[in-house]
Amino acid sequence: MNKFITLGLIIGLSGCALLMPKEVAAENIDITGTVQSRCTVNTDTPGVYGNPSAHQLTTLPASAGQVPIVRIDVSLANAYKAQISYPTSFASSPSLSDTVAWTGAVAVDQTSVSGMSAYQAASTTTGAMRSYALTLAGTTWFSVASTAAYGGGQAKAFPGGVYTAHVVAECIAQ
Amino acid sequence: MYRSIVLFVLLCGCSALILSKNAVAHDMTPTYPKWKITQHDGIYKTTMEMFNSRTDVNWYEIGVFDDDWKPIRFVTSYRVFKLEYLGVAKIDVYINARDKDRAEYICSKSKLKGGSNDKPMVESRICSRFK
Repeated sequence: MNKFITLGLIIGLSGCALLMPKEVAAENIDITGTVQSRCTVNTDTPGVYGNPSAHQLTTLPASAGQVPIVRIDVSLANAYKAQISYPTSFASSPSLSDTVAWTGAVAVDQTSVSGMSAYQAASTTTGAMRSYALTLAGTTWFSVASTAAYGGGQAKAFPGGVYTAHVVAECIAQ
Repeated sequence: MYRSIVLFVLLCGCSALILSKNAVAHDMTPTYPKWKITQHDGIYKTTMEMFNSRTDVNWYEIGVFDDDWKPIRFVTSYRVFKLEYLGVAKIDVYINARDKDRAEYICSKSKLKGGSNDKPMVESRICSRFK
């Protein structure tokens, strides 16, 4: 009886071995992609003017403003330069009869690569515009502070209404 | 009971985080476009591709400039065109043969609305260069 059981087991196992696939079927499915040279201008933080005194609008957080943060991504080193300008006029405002004095500052706020910390020292300015050579691939965040004072030095009060000014962020192929 | 409250709070938090960190970007490729001949004598063409992930901007303007940033005449379907959020546009730009070698930059610029309540402060401009 035991012989029959042993023989049955051997035949069964042999049959199973024969029926098993010869090799494990596996497929490699590739995902391919190409990163081409590009520059992307992102608005990470939109700006807001605070009104700490009647004659002044400023993006300084201490005055209830918000400094706009522009993020520029480049995928190829030495392909682009960034030109960031703080505003020198209002895009929309109530009617203004007196002059507005504009001041501002553009600065590197954060970087994705440590070597980008040299960008600020190597940058150049022309009026309200600061130009940065983007010599490394990666992401750079720029802060753009802006202040407008009304009254031509006499500190007159801004007329009531909504004021808008534009920061210009440019990415120019070299 | 507490588990469902914690889950609800987590879901709300994640949604708020995703919404607050949505990308608002403008890009244009290629970096170094080339003029290609067309079937018309003396007319060259290049194709630019744009992607708009700025939620605050729907309109863009195309321009072609020389080395001194003086505008150069060109033809395209619409110089100012609408590009919806997350939209991709392929823009064919045509130029005269006599202007082809003067063309140095091709730029796209965001057009910001002046009169709406939603007033973005950042105007973006991307320029590719003919080499």
